[in-house]
Amino acid sequence: MSALLTGAAWGLAAASLIAVAALIGVWWERKVAGRIQMRFGPQEAGPAGLLQTLSDTLKLMLKEDITPTAADVPVFRAMPFLVFVPVASALVVIPYASGWAPFNIATGAVFFLAVPGLSVLGILLAGWASQNTYASIGGVRAAAQMISYELPRTLSVLSLCLLAGSLSTGTIRAEWRWWWVPLTAVGFLVYFISSIAEVNRGPFDLAEAESELVAGYFTDYSGIRWAIFMMAEYGGVVAASLFGAATFLGGGLGLSGVPGALLFVALTALIATAMIWAKWTFPRMRADQLMTFAWKVLTPMALVQLLAVGIALAARVVLS
Amino acid sequence: MTPFKRAPERDPLDRTPLSVRLQRSATNDYSPGAKGFVEAWSSIFVGLTITARRAARNPDTLRYPFEKLTLSPRWRGALRLTGILGRDDIGSIEAPSPDYIRRIEVLEDEQRLPPCVGNCPANVDARGQALYLADERPADAYELVRDRNTMPGVLGRICHHPCESACKRNHYDEPIAIRPLHRVAFERYAEFREERVRKLPVTRSERVAIIGSGPSGLTAAFDLMKLGYEVHVYEKDPKPGGALLTGVPAYRLPREVLAQEIEDLQSMGMRLLTGVRIGSDVPIDHLIGEYEAVLIAAGLQFSRMLPIPNIDAKGVTGAIEFLRAGNSKHDAGVKGKRVLVVGGGNVAVDCARVALRCGASEVTLSSLESMDELPAHPWEIEEALDEGVVAMCSFGPHHVIAPEGRVTGMRLQSCLSVFDAQGRFSPQFGDEYSDLECDVIIFAIGQAPDLTDLVSGSDLLLTERGLLPVDGSLMTTELAGVFACGEVVTGPGSAIASIASGHEAAESIRRYIQGVALDEDRVYRPVPVYPRYGKPVLKGIEPSRRRAKMPMARGTDRAKDFRPVELGLTHIEGMSEAARCLRCASEVCVGCTFCARTCPDYAIRVERTDDPGSRCVTRYDLDLSKCCFCGLCAEQCPTNALKHTGQYELSFYTRDLTVFNRSEMLRDGGGTRATGADGTSVSACRGAGAPISEDSSPSNPEDLVAPTEVEQ
Repeated sequence: MSALLTGAAWGLAAASLIAVAALIGVWWERKVAGRIQMRFGPQEAGPAGLLQTLSDTLKLMLKEDITPTAADVPVFRAMPFLVFVPVASALVVIPYASGWAPFNIATGAVFFLAVPGLSVLGILLAGWASQNTYASIGGVRAAAQMISYELPRTLSVLSLCLLAGSLSTGTIRAEWRWWWVPLTAVGFLVYFISSIAEVNRGPFDLAEAESELVAGYFTDYSGIRWAIFMMAEYGGVVAASLFGAATFLGGGLGLSGVPGALLFVALTALIATAMIWAKWTFPRMRADQLMTFAWKVLTPMALVQLLAVGIALAARVVLS
Repeated sequence: MTPFKRAPERDPLDRTPLSVRLQRSATNDYSPGAKGFVEAWSSIFVGLTITARRAARNPDTLRYPFEKLTLSPRWRGALRLTGILGRDDIGSIEAPSPDYIRRIEVLEDEQRLPPCVGNCPANVDARGQALYLADERPADAYELVRDRNTMPGVLGRICHHPCESACKRNHYDEPIAIRPLHRVAFERYAEFREERVRKLPVTRSERVAIIGSGPSGLTAAFDLMKLGYEVHVYEKDPKPGGALLTGVPAYRLPREVLAQEIEDLQSMGMRLLTGVRIGSDVPIDHLIGEYEAVLIAAGLQFSRMLPIPNIDAKGVTGAIEFLRAGNSKHDAGVKGKRVLVVGGGNVAVDCARVALRCGASEVTLSSLESMDELPAHPWEIEEALDEGVVAMCSFGPHHVIAPEGRVTGMRLQSCLSVFDAQGRFSPQFGDEYSDLECDVIIFAIGQAPDLTDLVSGSDLLLTERGLLPVDGSLMTTELAGVFACGEVVTGPGSAIASIASGHEAAESIRRYIQGVALDEDRVYRPVPVYPRYGKPVLKGIEPSRRRAKMPMARGTDRAKDFRPVELGLTHIEGMSEAARCLRCASEVCVGCTFCARTCPDYAIRVERTDDPGSRCVTRYDLDLSKCCFCGLCAEQCPTNALKHTGQYELSFYTRDLTVFNRSEMLRDGGGTRATGADGTSVSACRGAGAPISEDSSPSNPEDLVAPTEVEQ
């Protein structure tokens, strides 16, 4: 019972974190996108347009929540939550401090990689329940893409587990050494790219390609349910950034205390900004390019990385 | 093999399209093998560098608020002036009388009808009169008015001027003094009379007989004379004029004026036969046989009395009889007596004032209506009270107290309400009684025609109440060729309404004689009811801009004799009053500056001169960098000279829908601001109507920049 309450409390905390992150993240993304396109971005509501997202949130909450007549109503209504909850739950295994995660389980890394993968089910069903061709195609595309990129992502994290000798995320952070960064640079790159693909963001946003599929799997969603899909996407960005900063970069690059915490937050923001940066830099990939990239480029790179880590560990044993 | 090319350093002014630059930097054409692998990955980072560098630069778009300033301040666009006083002419409304009403109708459809003209029963062109008077053409003004009014001098004294109630200047301060201007025109016509009053040629063989020489009969006569018919007017009294002579007291209408205007008509060819009583002297059948058409314009002859006890006592009289005696002999047997006038209309007020002038010791006016609802015109009541008439309102007659067959007083009963909920006459009396001592009682409660003699022996039949059945719009009677007009048709009413019915009767007679169907294509224009305006706010208006004040004889002095009460406007007063006219609906800018005063953004500036005789716009500026396109300026333009298209936001509202704030309209014109770098400028003023040549506009741009130095 107490475990359930604790879980609920952490879930609430995770949802709040995502909400705040989305509030700031959307504004930041619009600012960055504007700058990249030689615009100002939002600037009228509040200082530098900071209140723009808040007003948009209000608008989204007040908008009519439309359910299509032909939709499979219970499934259609439930799917935003099925997408959001796995993403939010990934936040509880991230090592926010050295050796500590809210749910510091022995298989934290596996949990982090596996549970958010459940949201692919939500996306697939959301597309299907809409009874809309665009939405269905979007859902199927998302399923194919997410399952494909699961592999290089897992392999890239596996090299960390190998280095730490543990599947526990807390241990990975505790065991982090500075030389891991040059050693796992390629793995980090693979992790970063496949994370973008995991959350269906550009240039891998084929599932919601507006020029082809209107809005992909959430074409028929409006108002607050649509907003939950968007929150799930930003939650994914936040989770991937936090995890990347906490494990590949060792939190605050091994620093402890307040400087370490600040550096941790800064690095997280940097990774998230890089995701935004990539989205507004590269054109959307074609479906076949997407698959080729996953299987022919990223997976071999992750394997090479794993091999390199193995060799390095063996060499260390031999040398010592 | 195309080697990977690094994106060249970008010139900030380079306007190469993004798509081209992307093609240059991010190509898909890589080397085979490991080299290509490295090229592909580095191209990704080059792409990121490009966007990062762009994000670091300041955006080259404008911030939003500055984008609104792209309208050129010189763009004059949808707002324009169709005419400017001093350069463009304003036409008077002139048409031969058969077509006149149609012309008025067309003007109204085109929204080019001045409200004063529209609200006059006879549609007298008051705007044209003001125009000509201000232009020093009094003879033209008089003749323009006479075309519709027949007797401008008479109406200039007695008309109840519905034109002035409709005047647009009511919105701003006070209406134009149109009625006094008729009188000014008449008085100034004296010097032109000899040369301009000419006999009208008789071009047709048909003759028309008109019974009665009141305003409606004379109007019909004048209209028919202008059409070339020979007209004979029969009058039963020794002098012509009808009700104007016997009913209207001389202090309001001097007899010389009436005689002069009837004499003018006679000079123009009207044959007047006075002292001929149709019916007893000459049977009407004789006229019907002799003339192609006969017009009955006999008016009302006897006063209505109330069926109350002792109504036949000595000392009780009717208004018409009393006025007839008072007007002809200036003595109605009331010298030194106490007079009670029963009634609240204009006739009652006339009776009371005539009684005072005939030497009555005290005059009381008793009416059913309360002071606020008296049917008499407010200025008449005011003048009567000034002269010493006592008003006893909300009292009705109960019975005449006459113990020996001679009036000693009247018992009055209080009246609670005069009209019922539907607005019908239905007096409700209270329990309160009041005995008023008096020697003479005059009943002024209504009048009726006395046509029994007139129609005796003919086929014309009267109703039980003694009325002649007449078609109210075609003015025809039961008998073909016999028409009727004036108060016989309309009942007691105003002189100008009688004149309007005279025009209609003349038109019917013309059609009858020429064999045209009477109602074919005929325009029937009911007189529109205009809203009453509240008391004007005159604070801050300089006296020279105000309505000319009619000088009046002192109340206590004037009540002793029949000399005129109104003393008349001077020449200069008349001129400046005529110049006050806004020339409504003329589509010519008169420089009234109301657009500038209305403008919420101070975008309009108008400069003008308005000396009598030379009134013109010297400058008109519209600063479009300030304009908010509300269109209020054009909405309120009294002359419709300022026009706009649908591009103005509020322009689909009619004026009735927009809030009309008088204090805003009257705000100081000096507060308008404008760049002065723009605008229509007419530098020299050559007087109204005079065309201004091209070279008179300022060629020196300095004049435009420093508008205060524009020469007048």
